[in-house]
Amino acid sequence: MIDINALIEITARSLAISGLATLFASLWSIPIAILLSIGQRRWARLLIAIFNSLVGVPTVIIGLLLYLLLSRSGPLGILSLLYTPYAIVVGQALLITPLMISFGVEVIGVRAKNLIEMSLTFGASTTQLLLTIIEEASTRIMAVSILGFQRAVGELGVALMLGGNIRGFTRVFTTAIALEIQKGEFELAIYLGIILILVDFIVIMILRILGWRK
Amino acid sequence: MDRRAFVLVALLVLACVLGLVAYNYLLTQKTVLRVSTTTSLYATGLLERLADEFRKTHPDVVIQFIPVGSGEALRKASMGDADLVLVHAPNLEQKYINDGLLIEGGIFAYNYFVIVGPPSDPANIKGLDNATEAFRKIFEAGEKGEALFVSRGDNSGTHNRELFIWRKTGLNPRGEWYIESGSGMAQTLQIANEKEAYTLSDIGTYLKLKKTGVINNLEILVSGDPDLINIYSVYIVNPKKINGIKYDLAKEFREFLLGTEGQKIIGEYGVEDYGANLFYPVDPSKLNELKSIWRYFASS
Repeated sequence: MIDINALIEITARSLAISGLATLFASLWSIPIAILLSIGQRRWARLLIAIFNSLVGVPTVIIGLLLYLLLSRSGPLGILSLLYTPYAIVVGQALLITPLMISFGVEVIGVRAKNLIEMSLTFGASTTQLLLTIIEEASTRIMAVSILGFQRAVGELGVALMLGGNIRGFTRVFTTAIALEIQKGEFELAIYLGIILILVDFIVIMILRILGWRK
Repeated sequence: MDRRAFVLVALLVLACVLGLVAYNYLLTQKTVLRVSTTTSLYATGLLERLADEFRKTHPDVVIQFIPVGSGEALRKASMGDADLVLVHAPNLEQKYINDGLLIEGGIFAYNYFVIVGPPSDPANIKGLDNATEAFRKIFEAGEKGEALFVSRGDNSGTHNRELFIWRKTGLNPRGEWYIESGSGMAQTLQIANEKEAYTLSDIGTYLKLKKTGVINNLEILVSGDPDLINIYSVYIVNPKKINGIKYDLAKEFREFLLGTEGQKIIGEYGVEDYGANLFYPVDPSKLNELKSIWRYFASS
């Protein structure tokens, strides 16, 4: 029935790829989210609106655009990134950026504004301010990252277009599920789906527990 | 979040990253041959079986299959993102051959499309040996609201063949009875099964699904028309047009597919499980006949 080795391998690969993508996306999304929520100017609001509207971009479109960039006949073809796990990491990181920024502005923004008013009275620099916010709002930042990870691990379009669903190399949960459906192995696809949800759940529980243990 | 938790998470992430990098590094030590292929061919499991056999004599080679529709497989290969391509859409293949992007084409297997439908057979096509006639009857029954037809609608090899047969009827299937699923063969069969509709399927996917019991409302109604022959071809991407193609390795795998070893596996694959051939090997005495059939579809 289910090949256990393949299953473990797919699970590990999915977590590594999407985890890495979330890590990268967090590195730029969270500072941007904080800066945008602090910014009172009009362009900050305009940028927020743009990121908000980019949240819903279909994953295949991101996949297709990056495919055209990374293809051997595309402008970045010399990197030989296409059909490697790194290509999926790049694609998923870009995919979840608008989501993380939008959600980040909502949940970190409020906390950040309070902190700024406080910090300004102590005369803190922007870097100090940013670090204070990151420390104080760590639980919220974690929530933003978890949401990004969820979207990354559950998306199909980018993984399929940029990874190619190659066995033992770029096959992740969602592409494996899509293939099983193509094969007509619906039961197997459902099992894989259940495992995906369970793995998601466990990862999030671990992060939550770590986050709450203040 | 306290410091220890942070370090723990960081270590976990680091371990993941290192694992991924190390694993991929080990893979890059081997030569990789990229093959873009149609999903229907890949989903039968035949290709992995062939690759496993090929690797017995080429232990340093990794064959990576990229399963997509025929249209996409050809497009991706022509953009240099695969070294070799395995497809079954002669009319699409012809375009890329004309552009000089695909070379050294060879027929490595064939099987048959079948028209499947509900046992009640409202269009009364059962036992016909002419696919065009069967489609015409489905059209008439469909227009009367008595029958449904599900089309792949995805520019796949199967979809192209379906359109070819519709063109031969001279009819233009439109209307509520003509359902375009826009999805793969398994889903399309499933839809046909639910709606008690007719559809055109490759024999492999049909047999696989029939065996699992998810399409009990469907049976084979028309088969055996030469118009329903499904020809699988292998091509190498032209290294003179695209840089970085692993021509020598691609040629070796091509030779293996067309050679006695590969042909033997193709002929035996799935017979035990399904009681019928999923694919037929290309008998040298039949090659010319298959080639002329291929040209016939390619020029359509």
